[in-house]
Amino acid sequence: MKNLLSFILLLTFTLGFVACNDDDNNNPVEDYSTILINTGENVILKTYESLATHAASLQAATQALEVNPSQANLDAARTAWIATRSPWEQSEGFLFGPVDQEGIDPSIDSWPVNVTDLNNVLASANALTVEFLAQQEGTLKGFHTIEFLLWGETGQKTVGEITTREFEYLAAAAGALAADAQHLYDLWKPSGGNFIANVTNAGNGSQVYISQKSALEEITNAMVIIADEVANGKINDPFSQQDLTLEESRFSANSKADFANNIRSIKNIYTGVFDAFGNGDAISDIIRDKNAQADAAVLNQIDLTIASIETIPGTFSEAIFANPAAVAAAQQSVRDLQAILEEQILPIVSNL
Amino acid sequence: MFDVEIDYNMRNVFLSCITVVLCIACNEDDPVVPIQPESVLAGGETTIFSTGPDAFTFPLANLDEAGLSRHFIADGIFGQQFVSAPASQFGGIGPLFNQNSCESCHLRNGRGIVPQYDGDPNSGLLLRLSVPGAGAHGSIIPVPGFGGQLQNKAIFNVAAEGKLGKTEITQLVQYLDGSTIELVRPVYTILDPYISLPGEVLISPRLAPPVHGLGLLEAITDDDILSLVDEHDADGDGISGRPNIVWDVLAQDTRIGRFGWKAEQPTGGQQAADAAHNDMGLTSFYFPAEHCDGQDNCSDGLQTGYDADDETTKLFAFYFQTLAVPAQRDYDLPEVKKGKQLFETIQCAGCHTPKHITGTHEIAALSGQTIFPYTDLLLHDMGEGLADHRPSYQANGQEWRTSPLWGIGLTQVINPKATFLHDGRAKTLEEAILWHGGEAEASKEDFRALSKKDRDALIAFLMSL
Repeated sequence: MKNLLSFILLLTFTLGFVACNDDDNNNPVEDYSTILINTGENVILKTYESLATHAASLQAATQALEVNPSQANLDAARTAWIATRSPWEQSEGFLFGPVDQEGIDPSIDSWPVNVTDLNNVLASANALTVEFLAQQEGTLKGFHTIEFLLWGETGQKTVGEITTREFEYLAAAAGALAADAQHLYDLWKPSGGNFIANVTNAGNGSQVYISQKSALEEITNAMVIIADEVANGKINDPFSQQDLTLEESRFSANSKADFANNIRSIKNIYTGVFDAFGNGDAISDIIRDKNAQADAAVLNQIDLTIASIETIPGTFSEAIFANPAAVAAAQQSVRDLQAILEEQILPIVSNL
Repeated sequence: MFDVEIDYNMRNVFLSCITVVLCIACNEDDPVVPIQPESVLAGGETTIFSTGPDAFTFPLANLDEAGLSRHFIADGIFGQQFVSAPASQFGGIGPLFNQNSCESCHLRNGRGIVPQYDGDPNSGLLLRLSVPGAGAHGSIIPVPGFGGQLQNKAIFNVAAEGKLGKTEITQLVQYLDGSTIELVRPVYTILDPYISLPGEVLISPRLAPPVHGLGLLEAITDDDILSLVDEHDADGDGISGRPNIVWDVLAQDTRIGRFGWKAEQPTGGQQAADAAHNDMGLTSFYFPAEHCDGQDNCSDGLQTGYDADDETTKLFAFYFQTLAVPAQRDYDLPEVKKGKQLFETIQCAGCHTPKHITGTHEIAALSGQTIFPYTDLLLHDMGEGLADHRPSYQANGQEWRTSPLWGIGLTQVINPKATFLHDGRAKTLEEAILWHGGEAEASKEDFRALSKKDRDALIAFLMSL
């Protein structure tokens, strides 16, 4: 998703740039290698590594649940799902590269769940294996199909209500998710597909980014895109239509955490830190140098936005009806963040 | 979804800012702004300036605010995955389909990816099918039990029609300077058909094409296209060119075809609805019935209404009609300038007509634009090497519509695995040129005779588009 302002600014600054191309060639171009390297190696790659590790744990938890269907094992599988969901949502601030180009996003995170086909598969005699699911559409696997099976349509499912076929399906779907997550990590890491080299070597042999600026623009645009998606898609669709079937992660009541982790994804990229990783060399450094006020505004708004999402009372499903003011405030906060990113940050990056 | 509050007047302010920026930026060092050829603005006032992987994802630069909000809604629909009916949201996929969303094939609005292995379910290439002969208005005759296209996927409990298989034939081409290049031609087959295929099935592989700029192509006038027709090569340049004449399902009449590899669709609306119908199994007001050709595997469980409601069907088309084309890059590099000259000299421009002026379109932003798509939208005989031997309407088995070239240099920035030509056989633009034959034989031979430096210049020009 794009919006008008960023687009006009892009137009403006690019035209300015084009017109003055000859002059600018004489100016020294700043080197942003350390920023691109830290962002690639310590934020993006470590997020995907965390996703792969947690997805493997989720697979193990669903296998334990299949072998021993206890409430404790169901709870453990649900906890593992939520833990895996966190790095995934923290990766949605950089949905470019293999996740986009290799069709991995739909395989991991399709919405809605194809409930009709899911019931038909469960009622069939098909062997429920990772190989079988690898051949199915994303709407029959990935996070939300697993979530639907773990929690049920109303989120109230008990272990006694889950059928043997559903346990098998869960283990297979978690296996397919773990394989996808590992594949995604492999495509980025230097010893695998090495997509990371396109980012770290931008403008210096990268096949995808002809300049460091174009890589930084992609990264900045991706932050804008996820802010837009959270405000105007994930929150707005169920909220404006008062329709819970449009709410992602409603079975697990994890929607608020999804939204907050999406904003954390922006924070991680912008500040160059993910969990214990990262030295802080980040886009923030560029912005602070050019416009310290804009940098402070983003940092402040990111924290305000995360807090406004997390302080929505109860579950997001409940709050849509019971606390519309809190939902509207959180939505506005995300929109404010998006506006700062688009109106203040993107123009600086586009004009580097 | 658009909600930054900027009205149309504000935009004019921003546009004036552009001028200001230009003046300020160049004030001291360089009072003379370099003269920019008009062809740099490939889409006229609709042109955008992205050079990155999202270059095909921007709306028309001059789209009004109402159009923009509609574009952003359409953006969501273009990426939406559909599921089996009944469903609370987005039901109606299939029962037979190729992919469950538009974007699954048109990656980042660019090209699809050819199958990476036999039966690859994630490819953006499909097989059009027919049996010999011509139906009403010259249309293809569908294959009994399969229809006009192989759907390699189906909703659960329904048999997909079959899988794609591929063998490859390698050949060597030599340049006059002695260097050689290997070309690989794929031969697609149908594996594991759900029922046996009739004796003679014509197969035409089709790679999902990029979808940017299609509104501008729709806005080119019929008269403009017809003025380029030279069916019997009256001017003796070896290049003829004729329009495809196809069936317009809403008008219930024949019309000039513009869209698709053989120009088989007359309008953006029908192009979108046809793709939704054949590729995703979505019925609509254009195509009210599922594509069942004497098939019993053809109920998707949705008994009433269309799978895609009227608004959704219109949004599919509105999205690509309002997608912008990127500006030309590096136009002032000597190599690119040289390549542009060669493009004219060796007659590439004989079919890849650089310039058009659009007529009136219901989307006002598309009207009256001076554009540089590098296509005449006509059919040309491209020789035996590219032939699919599957006639459709006026297009014979060797004819293909001239592909637009705008944005082609960004193809592999948008999708590094993307390839060129109707079946994605060309890994590079150089290979694509060398596959040209028929009416383009002389141009191809001229290219083969060029020095390495000049060949590189021509490619550099194409990469700048």
